Order: sequence, then structure tokens, then C-alpha cells
Amino acid sequence: MSLTSLVPLIGIADVVIGLSLGSRLFLIAVGLSLIFGVLGVLNFAHGGFYMLGAYFTLAVVSNVVDNFWIAVVVGALAVGVVGAAIEFSAIRRLYDRVDSDLDQLIVTFGFVLVIHETVRFVWGSGSYSIDPPDVFNFSVALGGSTFNAYRLVVIGLAVGVLVALWLFITRTYFGSLVRGTSSDREMAAMLGVDVPRLYTGVFFLGSVLAGLGGALSAPLQSTSPALGDQVIIDAFIVVVIGGLGSMSGAFVGAMLIGMMQSLGPQFISAGSIAIPFLAMVIVLLIRPEGLFGGIGE
Amino acid sequence: MTTVLKTEDLRKQFGQLTAVDDVSIEIDDDKITSIIGPNGAGKTTFYNLLTGVLEPTSGSIWLRSGEGGELADVTDAEPHEVAQAGLSRSYQITNIFEGLTVRENVRVARISHDGSRLDFRSRATGDESVEADVEELLELTGLTDIADTPCDTLSHGEKRTVEIALALAIEPNVFLMDEPTAGMNPTEVTEIVSLIRDLDEDLDATFVVTEHNMDVVTDISDRIVVLAEGSILADGAPEDVLTDERVTEAYLGSDSV
Amino acid sequence: MSATDTGGRVSRFGSAVAEGWTRERFGLLGAVALVLVAFAPPFQVYLFTDFLVVALFALGFNLLYGYTGLLSFGHGLFYAGGAYGIAIVLRDLGPVIADVVGAGISPLVTFVLGGVVGLVLVVLVAVPVGWLSVRLEEIYFALITLAFGMLGYSLIIQDPAGLTNGTDGVIVLLGTVDLGGFSLRIGGRRIYYAISAVTVVAAVYGVWRVVNSPFGTVCKAIRESPDRAAALGIDVGHHRWMTFIVSAAVVGIAGVLRAGLASVASPGLTHWSTSAIAVIATVIGGATYFYGPIVGAFIFLYIRWAISRFPALEAYWELFFGALLIAVVLFFKQGAVGGLLLLRDRLFGDGGGGGGGALDDGQASTAADDGAESGDDNVRADRGDNS
Repeated sequence: MSLTSLVPLIGIADVVIGLSLGSRLFLIAVGLSLIFGVLGVLNFAHGGFYMLGAYFTLAVVSNVVDNFWIAVVVGALAVGVVGAAIEFSAIRRLYDRVDSDLDQLIVTFGFVLVIHETVRFVWGSGSYSIDPPDVFNFSVALGGSTFNAYRLVVIGLAVGVLVALWLFITRTYFGSLVRGTSSDREMAAMLGVDVPRLYTGVFFLGSVLAGLGGALSAPLQSTSPALGDQVIIDAFIVVVIGGLGSMSGAFVGAMLIGMMQSLGPQFISAGSIAIPFLAMVIVLLIRPEGLFGGIGE
Repeated sequence: MTTVLKTEDLRKQFGQLTAVDDVSIEIDDDKITSIIGPNGAGKTTFYNLLTGVLEPTSGSIWLRSGEGGELADVTDAEPHEVAQAGLSRSYQITNIFEGLTVRENVRVARISHDGSRLDFRSRATGDESVEADVEELLELTGLTDIADTPCDTLSHGEKRTVEIALALAIEPNVFLMDEPTAGMNPTEVTEIVSLIRDLDEDLDATFVVTEHNMDVVTDISDRIVVLAEGSILADGAPEDVLTDERVTEAYLGSDSV
Repeated sequence: MSATDTGGRVSRFGSAVAEGWTRERFGLLGAVALVLVAFAPPFQVYLFTDFLVVALFALGFNLLYGYTGLLSFGHGLFYAGGAYGIAIVLRDLGPVIADVVGAGISPLVTFVLGGVVGLVLVVLVAVPVGWLSVRLEEIYFALITLAFGMLGYSLIIQDPAGLTNGTDGVIVLLGTVDLGGFSLRIGGRRIYYAISAVTVVAAVYGVWRVVNSPFGTVCKAIRESPDRAAALGIDVGHHRWMTFIVSAAVVGIAGVLRAGLASVASPGLTHWSTSAIAVIATVIGGATYFYGPIVGAFIFLYIRWAISRFPALEAYWELFFGALLIAVVLFFKQGAVGGLLLLRDRLFGDGGGGGGGALDDGQASTAADDGAESGDDNVRADRGDNS
């Protein structure tokens, strides 16, 4: 197939949609990766946090204040509080166990069930959707295809979060503590770092990011109790491909999977949903540390 | 006198750090050899290289398996292959099967040794020759009385003894002991020293010991090798090595024991 | 391992109850209970069959988790493998087999052949998947098995070979054996229960033998300390691979039975949320005990049933199991079996001070040795201890 015949197949709208899907995946995956990198915990409930972010935002908009941006901030912070509470009350008890990794995975899986059912109990099994904020709620026509302008906002915010996180980790005092603790917890503790508090802080931050992803995506998807289970698997794929603990890896991995979700079906009909899992298997076998570096990179 | 274990220019680097620096050594079967050295001298790395846990950067390792065998190159062997070839070890930080009883620990080692590891069908306790060997080993190491105690409830000294029983159970030609008296009280030290002596007399295995406790070292060693900063500083009979100025300097110059 | 030798951990739990309750008596009681279930109301028969199948699923899973320390989030792949194996044979080969052996006996022949094909299929998948997966440990092993399971899920849904019928799955029609005056509907609840009970009891016994074999003993050592096991000459990777295959095969048998019970082989069986059922049942029952997964499956199925009787709560049974799972891991990792043993200790162990002789090793050994049963009652099921 020649390039000229290939190009018209990829609409600009598909690319924008792919990048916006990637952006929401990045927001959930980067928190997952951060928590794993520092605490060594693979948080199965992270998809649930993302879903909670969307629900909280919807709830604030429809019940409290009719301002999307305030609702996004409140929703993301509320998810952070939920995450910190889970870390503080449950996960913390497991750090000192010999086989703590798997126990943590199982406990966070328990929270998957709890969050899923709580959401169903409070908001029911149906799905909700809201419009993007009015300012951005218009169609952009580019290269013969159209997409909603709000998608560009999500992409921009995701890039902004990546830059802010990078600055935070590499340039601030708290960031240096995070890096130090992630490479050697005992050494950090000996140097006087309050490790338990730092852990709760990082878990809070990671949860806020997941909540932010869910909140920002609320206008782009229908929000239902199944959302968490779908998105956590995508997030696992992203962090494995990008490298557990790597932030830039989470970004590249997320964009890769987002584009694949958007463009894949046009090129490969059969087996397209299998490809991300195949990629996950191959990366785990060949480069279990992921395609990109470690924390702070 | 036969050489049972030999290294040639064995080297291990971690990035810029050279942990083991071109060590060439020959261990003979009629002696107890002690390897000593200040902390960070490379003893544990050296053991991990010999047992296949770490891959050497360069150099080679040769092991004689059994009497009359040839020295075979085990440089690239996996840990389980090294063990099968006749090299056994005990660990500085006790490493036994904590959830199993003492007898079960020893039985696992015997099952491994007699090649029935992949037998799905028979009973683990059903092989009379294995059971007899297990009893004999428990007897030899003085563990018979506590044979049915789960290991996670044993005292530190008892665990150290189980450690030795495990290593012996695979009938090694060479037995590397990593700090056998680590963390023991004086009574336990005396007991373990006499156990090592007895074992050396009763068994064909060649003993190589790393040890911090200098009394123990002088007590049991026929030969002492001093490692410092990854290379051999001194090597010879205890009375010669321990009076060597360079050795005292290496010890006093760094973190003294 | 202590399940077979004298003493060990089990002796600590030896109790007055053990007196007189020999292996034969427990076996007999279990057999009687299994027969009695066949005469229960139809729904109860169905529920109990469901329990047996989930119990075998969890037991197979735990061979890997409880005995070598590898947590798989992808065992649904093998559950589905067994189910699709038999479903496809029934659909595609049923008529051919009827031509060869005659229509009367053909449903039975097809069923048995389908089961064998399902099992073989599972092993053929498990050999390469296991070989690749055991290179990783801990979280990474959980992730790669999850990926393999979801890879299978994607392939079954997209059905590139035209075998699995996409999202609808493959309908399973078991048919009726008709030999002159004698006819037998294989899919009938009671008949299917009988087939399942015999199969599951045989499989559980098989697993119990494996666990107590030299092979199983080595598995436990690997769980306790892989590097120590390697230093004793055990090829840890190879051993884990073998365990993976056996574990998958047991799960495959459960999958074969699942297909007939549900009358369909559906793609959901490979989904990670199905794999998670084995995790939930095992952890709740107690992963360190042989009978843990069986007791866990019993709790899972029967509490879910009990909750479903209250319409207001019916939809939220997952909440209960999520909370239970968290509580067990945080506060009582021995799970239900550990709890039962502790309870028995409290009730009979300390109280019977005068009869202290009951703690004698021989007694404990007899009690611990009581063989493999379906585990349908908790008294019997609390006997094993795989640590």
C-alpha cells in the first residue's frame, strides 16, 4: 500500500480521538505507575478510583454547583481522600509482610469489588453522561473530519500534568524524597524520612490523578459501574509497556494504546483487541522493566 | 591431596565496583579451608559466584564431583546444576523451609538428591531408603529429638543446625559454609564447632568456611585465605597467616572484628 | 506434607474429635452425604454441582498459588479451554460419532471424548503458556497470566478460526443415551450431578496424591524458599512449569464440567473476573490448606445463594465478598479452614486436658490422612494442611 493511499484513511479526527483516549489512559496509568514505583504496590483498585472521579464529578455538577471545572477539582480531590484512606487503613498493614506484593494485590482487588458495588448501590446500574463545558463544546472540522474541541483540552491537560509531575519529582524537595524512598526505603527511613506519611502522600497523589482522569473523561464517555473494570486492564497494559514506575513510559504507553484503540480497527479487523495483550506478554518477557526507564524519567 | 574446587582469574564487577578481583584459588580435599576478610571484602559475592547465583564477569570455576571424578567447568552452571554437581552451601542468613518441620526439610533435600523430584504418584514418605537416609542425617546432626517441630518455632541455634543438615543431605563433595556461627551464643558456637569437626572426620566432603569469629577460625582451620577488597591478601597455614602484618593491617585499617 | 507424616503442624491441632474418627469413617460419611445430595430438591442439586465445579477450579488454581507461591490471574483461560474443548466436540463431531457408534450410545461417547479433548487442549495451551509465564515471579507473574487470559478472551470473542462463535459462545447439548428400554439424559440435573461428583472426587484425590508425592513436597519447599530449593539441586523454573501444567489440567477438568452445567461455553470464562473467582474462593478458604479452596468455594456459592434470597441485597453480593477478602488478607490469612481448626482447638483441644493422650502423633496422623473427599461438609474438610 503506497503512502498516498494510506494517508486519507487516517482522519485527523481519528488521531485527535486517539490522543484524547491516550490522555485519559495516561492520567490513570501515571498514578498507578507512581504508586508502584514508590510503594511497590500494584493497585488493582485504580480503575475504581478513575470511575469514582467520574461519578463524583457528575454528582457535584448535578447536585451542588453547576460548574464543570469546580466539579472536576472536587471530584479528583475526593478520590484522593478515598485513596489515602484505603492506604492508611488497609494497605499499610501489609508492607512488612514477607509476601507483601501478592497480599497487596489481593487486598486492592477486594477494593475493586467494594468500589464497584458501592457505586452501583449509590448511583444504580445505568449509565450517565454530561456535555463538555459550553466554552469547548463545539465541533472542529479539520481535514474533512470533525471532533469535539473538548478533546483538545483533555490532551492539553494531560501534557500539562506530565510536565508538572516531572517538575515536581525532579525539582522539589518532596520529589527528591519520593525518588530517594523509591530506590531504597530503609535508607530513606534511616535518613529521617517519615516513610509512612510519604507513602500515604504518594497514594493520595496517585489517586487524585486517577480521579482527575475519570473526571475529565466524564463528558467523553458514558459513566457506568463497568467503567472501572474496563479501564484498569487498559491501565495495566500501559504501565507494563511503559515500565512499572516510569512516568514518561506511562505517557508514551498511554498514547500508543490510545492510538491503537482509535486507529486499530481500521487496519486490522480480526485480532485487533488481542494485540495490546500480545504486546503486554511480549514486553513482560523481553523487558519486564518496560520499554522506558524508571521513576522520574 | 586432590583439588576439588578451583577458580581461575575469577572476577565480578558491579558497574564500577570490582567485588571479586581476579581470584585464583585451589581448594584441596584434605583440609578445612577458612576464607576470612573484613566486611565488604567480597566473601559473599565469591560464594554467590561459586554457587551459580551470580554470573562472573570473567574467569572460570571448576568443580570435581565425587571421588575420582574429573574437574568440570561449572562457570556457566545454574545454581541447581552446581548443587547437582556436588557443591552445597549453608547461608549466613538462615535460609531453610520455615513452614515445614525439620524432618520435612531434610526429606526435601533427600528427594532432590535421589532424583525423585518429578515423581507425582508415590507418597513422599513412601520411599524407605529416603526415610532411612533422613533418619540417619537427623541422627548425625543431632536433630532427632526435634524432628517433628515446625522450623518457624525453632531457636536460632537449631535453625543453624537445620541449615547444615540441609546442605549435607545432598551429599556434597564440597560444602561451603557461610558464617556458620552467625548470631549464636557461646554455647551454641561450641556445639557447632564440634559438629563441624565431627562432620569433617566422618564425611568425605571438603569444608570451606567463612567466619567472623577468629577463635572459631583458628580452632577449625587447616588453611586460611584472607580476602581484602576482592583479592587474595594472604593464603597459608593459620599460624603464618594470622601473624602476617598485611592481614592485621587490613583488619585494623577497616572495620575491625 | 504434614498431612501424611506423623505429627508436624497437624499434631498441634490434634483433638478429641480425632479420636475414633478414622479416615474410613470420614470417607464413608462423605460418600453418604454425596449420595444424599442427589435426592435433594432440583435447585439444591444444581447448586451443589456448581459448588463442586468451582471447588475443583479453585483447587487447581491453588496448586500453583498455595504450593509454589505463584498467583495466577489467568486461570480462566484453562477453565474456558476445557469448556470450549467439549462444546466444540459436541457440536462438530456429535453427528460423526453417532454414525460410527450408533445413535443410542453416541451422546455418552461424545461426552467422554469431548472431556478428553478439552483436557488435552488445555494441556497443549498450558505447556507453552506455563513455560513462558514461570520465567516471571510475584506481581509480574500475576500480570503475564492476566495478559494471557485476556489474550485468550480476545481471540475467543473475535473468533478468527470460526470455531468459538464469538460473544455468544458455543451451546452445549448433552443429549440422551438410549439403549433399548434404558434411557438416560446426561444433562439431567441428578445424572449430571452424579457425573460431576464422581469426576470431582477422583480429581481431588488425584491432586491430593500429587500434593503428598515427592513432587508436591518439593513444591512446598519452593514456596518457602526458591533459592534454597535451587541450592539443593532443584530446578525451580522447571518444577514450577510442571506444576503450572498440572494446575491447568485440573482447572481444565472443572471447565469441562462447567460447560455441561451451564449448557454453554461462553467467552466470559476466560475473562479475568472469572479467574478472580478462584482467587476469592482460595483466599477466603485459606490458601495454605489443601482443603482451603474447597471450603472457600462452598462459602462463596452458598453465601451468594443465601444473599440472593433477599431481593434488596441480591445485587450486592460482590460487596460482601470484597469486604471479606480484604478482612481475611489483613487479619486472618489462614482463612476459613484456619478458623475452623482454631475453633476446634478452642472447643476440644484445651478443654479435654485429661484426655491429653488424644494429642498423640498417631491419632493426629490418622485424622490428617483421611484422604480426599468432595469436602461437602466442613468437619471433614478441615483435615488437611498442606504446609
